[in-house]
Amino acid sequence: MSLTPATDIVGTKKSGRPIGLLLVAAPVLLVAWMIIWPIISAIGRTIWLPDEGGTESFSLETYRFFFTDQYSLNNLSVTLWTTGVCALLLVLICLPIALYLRFAKGRLAAYVQGLAIFPMFVPSIILSYAVIRVLGPNGTVDLLLNSVGLPHIRSPYLTPWGPVIGLVWDNIPLTVLILLSGLGNVSNQSIEAARDVGAGRLALLWHIILPRISNSILVAVSFTVLGIFSAFTLPYVLGPAAPEMMGPFMQRTFRDLNDPTSAITQAVITFCFCIVFGLFYVRSVAKNRTT
Amino acid sequence: MKRRAFMLSVGGAAAGMVLLPRMAFAEAGKIDWYTSSDQNILDFWTNVVKPKFEAANAGVTLNLVDGGDSAGVQAIAERAVAAMQTNTDPQADMAEGFDTRLPKGGIEAGLWVDFSKANLSNYSKINPLAFDVPTSLPYRGSQVLLAYDTTKLAAADAPKTWEALVAWIKANPGQFVYNRPDKGGSGGNFVRRAIWEANGKDPSKFTVDNFGAFGAEALPPAWAMLKDLAPSLMDKGAYTSGNTQSIQLLSQGAVTMIPAWSDQALQAISTGVLPETTGLVQLTDLALAGGFTKIGVFSNGVNKDAALKLADFVLSEEIQSAVITELGGFPGVSWDNVSKELREKYADVIPATIPVFPGGEWEKAINDGWYREVAPNVDRAA
Repeated sequence: MSLTPATDIVGTKKSGRPIGLLLVAAPVLLVAWMIIWPIISAIGRTIWLPDEGGTESFSLETYRFFFTDQYSLNNLSVTLWTTGVCALLLVLICLPIALYLRFAKGRLAAYVQGLAIFPMFVPSIILSYAVIRVLGPNGTVDLLLNSVGLPHIRSPYLTPWGPVIGLVWDNIPLTVLILLSGLGNVSNQSIEAARDVGAGRLALLWHIILPRISNSILVAVSFTVLGIFSAFTLPYVLGPAAPEMMGPFMQRTFRDLNDPTSAITQAVITFCFCIVFGLFYVRSVAKNRTT
Repeated sequence: MKRRAFMLSVGGAAAGMVLLPRMAFAEAGKIDWYTSSDQNILDFWTNVVKPKFEAANAGVTLNLVDGGDSAGVQAIAERAVAAMQTNTDPQADMAEGFDTRLPKGGIEAGLWVDFSKANLSNYSKINPLAFDVPTSLPYRGSQVLLAYDTTKLAAADAPKTWEALVAWIKANPGQFVYNRPDKGGSGGNFVRRAIWEANGKDPSKFTVDNFGAFGAEALPPAWAMLKDLAPSLMDKGAYTSGNTQSIQLLSQGAVTMIPAWSDQALQAISTGVLPETTGLVQLTDLALAGGFTKIGVFSNGVNKDAALKLADFVLSEEIQSAVITELGGFPGVSWDNVSKELREKYADVIPATIPVFPGGEWEKAINDGWYREVAPNVDRAA
């Protein structure tokens, strides 16, 4: 191909648009192909069921089963419980860390930042076995408590709190990073100004900092919720046999029970819950762009 | 759009195409082999089967690939189904440790070679107990037994019957744990032993195709039995999510006894994961079930004939003896077909019969039934 001097693409505003569209076309097509289409096909496969004769017809049977089956509902509710508890704990733990990192300076802050980001580099399967070692029965914590004469604690391993502990630890880096970037919007001047008129620490947090980063908190929560809702490894290894979280439940239905239709139904239901949080995220991003 | 912009984007797309990975094709004479098994099995194939087979068959090589777990190998099998529909090369010839009932519809589509029609010279030697579906070729076995801590329980006091085991578990609450039946065979076969116990200790009552008529009455009494046991288990009804986690709890001294695979327990003891003081005991009234690991050969693989030769080769006396001596497993062939020395040497250690629980519909019903009946309904807070 011959390359002519590029006099015709620079300068005019009109010609910029198709290039922008072209640039965005590849990811949009990928999303449509690898995400949107599978979703449509999955929903189709759960409502368009073959009957005994093999002819396919519209049926909500798999959904009716899910929502009338106490076992499935228990799994759904434990997933919602785990997600809610994790999100709450994450905000409670990560907000102070992020505030500290935003305002503290010096070597100690660097170490804290390193520690907070560290879980990002630990694969969840390794984390699971480490949690068994440390918090499991006769684990490190037990041994330490026993050595100073304290009683044996009931281990969170194989209870719903096992995955909560693992998931919270695993999600600290993402939450801290998002909150930290949000705290970047809080200018030192506004804080100093508030201090000058006599605002206390709590008032500062409540009236100056939180309003500025509410969006970041929302983004952090929706990101972690999306990850936790569909978590697999940690609930699989650390959680109780029943009720299970949706991730292990779907995998077991798909693979061990060899029942793809029910597994996809569970996936669609999971997806519907996730999309709500996805919408929160999209809304807050959109709001950010308009302001 | 201006011409220049168009040219740029087309050029970019063309350049992108060039950078896409080239289509790979399987090499003739290189058997692509995938396993779902653990590292010890891969080592066995790398160090024993591969050199022996390649020495005996000039020009054929084995490409041993660790598929991770069943889901990993299933992805390969699904690729082979897709390749079948488009008549292309699946780049896979053999699957080890995989249930050829998967992926769904694979057998009907003719994905797997039917070994009963493949004329393997060693096919008739296979232990009749080991057969499942004719597309799965059993070649090694292992048995579940009880592993316990001899510092807490003297070998002489270890339970040797189911009744004694139940009595021991109830007398020592919190000292026994088994894993979820679908997450590993050690817990799975413990559950199956309970099902036998609830149905007159007669494994012959259970066949691969009699679930429909018999299943509904066979399983509930076993669930009741296991539910009754739950409050006496570790943490009043905790179930680990795999063979390894049970072994870890035993090694941490959190429990005194677990069901464990014979080969895995022996290996754990020899590598120091379990201490030397670990005892192993098998129930003598009726042993815990064993299982056979199978091979499947893809019917559309480029090296199907070589793979069938390999399948026949692993059933030979040479490899079957190595399964016993190198792997600590049981042969897939009947015991009459391994060397007399080995048969005599292991006569005391290994029971001549391994009770085997059939797969098929039973497996699904047991997994689902256990999760619905046994795993919930425990009051663990009490």
